[in-house]
Amino acid sequence: MSQSQRLTIVKPASEAAAQCTREGSLVLVGVNHTTAPLEVRERLAIAATRLPDAIRSLAHQPGIREALILSTCNRVEFITIQDHTQDRIHESATPTLLRFLHEYFAIPEATVEPHLYEFREREAVRHLFRVASSLDSMVVGEPQILGQVKESYSVAREVGAVSTTLEPLLQRAFSVAKRVRSETQIGSSSVSIASVAVDLARKIFGSLQGKTVLLVGAGKMSELAARHLIQQGATSILVANRTQEKAALIAGQIADQISVQIASDPAAIGCTTEVIPFDQLQAQAGRADIVITSTGAEGHIFTRAHGQQFLSQRRNRPMFFIDIAVPRDVDPKMNQVEGCFVYDIDDLQQVAAAHLADRSRESAAAEDIVASEVEKYHQHLQLLEAVPAIVALQQSAEAMRQAELARSAKRLAGLTAEQQAAVDALTRSLTAKLLHPQIVDLRKKSE
Amino acid sequence: MTLLWLRFAVLLYGVAALAVLPAALYDRPRWRLLAVPATISGALFHFVSLAETLNAAHHRLPVETHEVQSLLALILALSFLLVYARYRSVSIGIFVLPMAFMLAMLAAFRPGEETFSAPIRTGWIFLHIVLLLAAYAALVVSLLASLLYLIQERRLKSKAGSHRWLPPLDTPLETIDQIALKALLFGLPCMTAGLLIGSVIAALSAGAKYFSDPKILLTFVLWLAYIAMIFIRRASGLRGRRAVYLSSFVVLVVLFVWAANQFSAVHRFPTP
Repeated sequence: MSQSQRLTIVKPASEAAAQCTREGSLVLVGVNHTTAPLEVRERLAIAATRLPDAIRSLAHQPGIREALILSTCNRVEFITIQDHTQDRIHESATPTLLRFLHEYFAIPEATVEPHLYEFREREAVRHLFRVASSLDSMVVGEPQILGQVKESYSVAREVGAVSTTLEPLLQRAFSVAKRVRSETQIGSSSVSIASVAVDLARKIFGSLQGKTVLLVGAGKMSELAARHLIQQGATSILVANRTQEKAALIAGQIADQISVQIASDPAAIGCTTEVIPFDQLQAQAGRADIVITSTGAEGHIFTRAHGQQFLSQRRNRPMFFIDIAVPRDVDPKMNQVEGCFVYDIDDLQQVAAAHLADRSRESAAAEDIVASEVEKYHQHLQLLEAVPAIVALQQSAEAMRQAELARSAKRLAGLTAEQQAAVDALTRSLTAKLLHPQIVDLRKKSE
Repeated sequence: MTLLWLRFAVLLYGVAALAVLPAALYDRPRWRLLAVPATISGALFHFVSLAETLNAAHHRLPVETHEVQSLLALILALSFLLVYARYRSVSIGIFVLPMAFMLAMLAAFRPGEETFSAPIRTGWIFLHIVLLLAAYAALVVSLLASLLYLIQERRLKSKAGSHRWLPPLDTPLETIDQIALKALLFGLPCMTAGLLIGSVIAALSAGAKYFSDPKILLTFVLWLAYIAMIFIRRASGLRGRRAVYLSSFVVLVVLFVWAANQFSAVHRFPTP
């Protein structure tokens, strides 16, 4: 979110009026990771359990017809449809929402106001499409945001806070997000170290089902990578540490994670953990397909000769070393051994950065899709605006036609059924042709 | 009647020679349940045939060429069964059973004898050609997969730096390796069956002299190379560069076999 986007956007009366939806004005107010520090965001964050109540309260605010709240760790946004009386068009919607925030969260208005952004109508649609498509996320292309928007929509729907205007808008936002995902490569590559490691492992082994992972040393990042690998199907986790107790502790923590995972993923049932004595590390490492090292050792724990030894033990089945330690635990020369793949922290970061650059390139294409979808949505709304007038015109013309036919009924009585049908078709066609320029004119005016 | 028993035995040896391949080379031990009983049945028919032949000839020792060939084939089949009974290993059958098949076949069919009608013979020749071409194609697929393995391996080893010019591949290394190996495992039975069928047709049309042709001998060398390649790949898990060398060598033999068609006296393509 750029500084300019953070400014309150209030359209000139004529333009805003032209863009107002038939049901009311679309107003989006919120804070995100670029406009508000964590201290502010965490005060506004709404837990999933409180979300229905918060949406209901917002929807009951005066002048608000429909409402939806999107609350994630990086953003809290209030999307509302407000009554659009002529005098309200000139106003910012922020005071209404600030009042709501003050009442609901007990936060002083002055604390939040400097960080708030407000979008109306077309800009609000664009912002919503960008958020759903993950173009406004901290990590562009991350897939969670769409699920979070859907979850918020689902809650708002349950409490009856979305209807004729927000409902189709959100449905359109979901389809735009889907289009962005399918037509660009924005979410195709991993950008976190742990997921890059998993991606690389999959490039080597394909399925990780039944693979053995060896965790050497302790560290948050290595444990995170191990957890990712278990989620992908690795079934045997070996743990080695200089301190046997520490190794047992890590193995226990992983076992706990596995038992939690079993509840949602039965495939994790066969997953086992085993502690390996540190002095047997080199003798037993060959059992592992993937080795994650993060010790504080001064020298290399695994050398090129070890790599050759492992490959020989494994009958040349490939082995993947993820070396997160600084200084490195694995001799870089091991990468020269056929079948050994060694990635240190710099390599992983380089891959992640390259993927991030790929995403940035793809985001330009995604922005184009969003722009065209905003335009389409806008045209759709305008067409909806013109529909009642067109329908009224057609009904009036049809009534006149029917009246004229009724007046001439006696004179036409002598005609055969075929001739009467011909007269009916003739008048119908004449009416349509007379109306055509007016309908076109109405449509043009609405655009 | 004696020849009929012997031809039954030839058929059973052929089945056993094919069934022993997955049992010995592909880690599919259940195939031995076909290979061993087929060999036992073949040996029984073979024994009856040989006994009847000797009895009809009023001598107890095999003196005719076809009698010696038949006896040698029977001894080979029995030796396979003996090794299996003693060591529960069928590996030796990879070589012994096709030899037993060939020798028994030479004894069972006389050159120029009209055993098959012309359309059936054409059908067998067609099958022989299709199976051998399938084996060659499998070999080429295996070589290409090995090359792709090499490319993917280089890409993964080069990380984000050099070798970015190499084409991106979505297929994981292990999958590429499986494609290379599975192609070979598919090709070997095709080649074996193709050779067995071709041998029967050749024995019927030209007899034993057919098998002394350089092109035919080279084809059997290719078959041995094929087996050796699968054995080495499975035993040592050969991948990457060395797998490419090995596959390239066998493809080279295929090219020699192909070229030998131009010089063969008994098996050559007609000039256009």
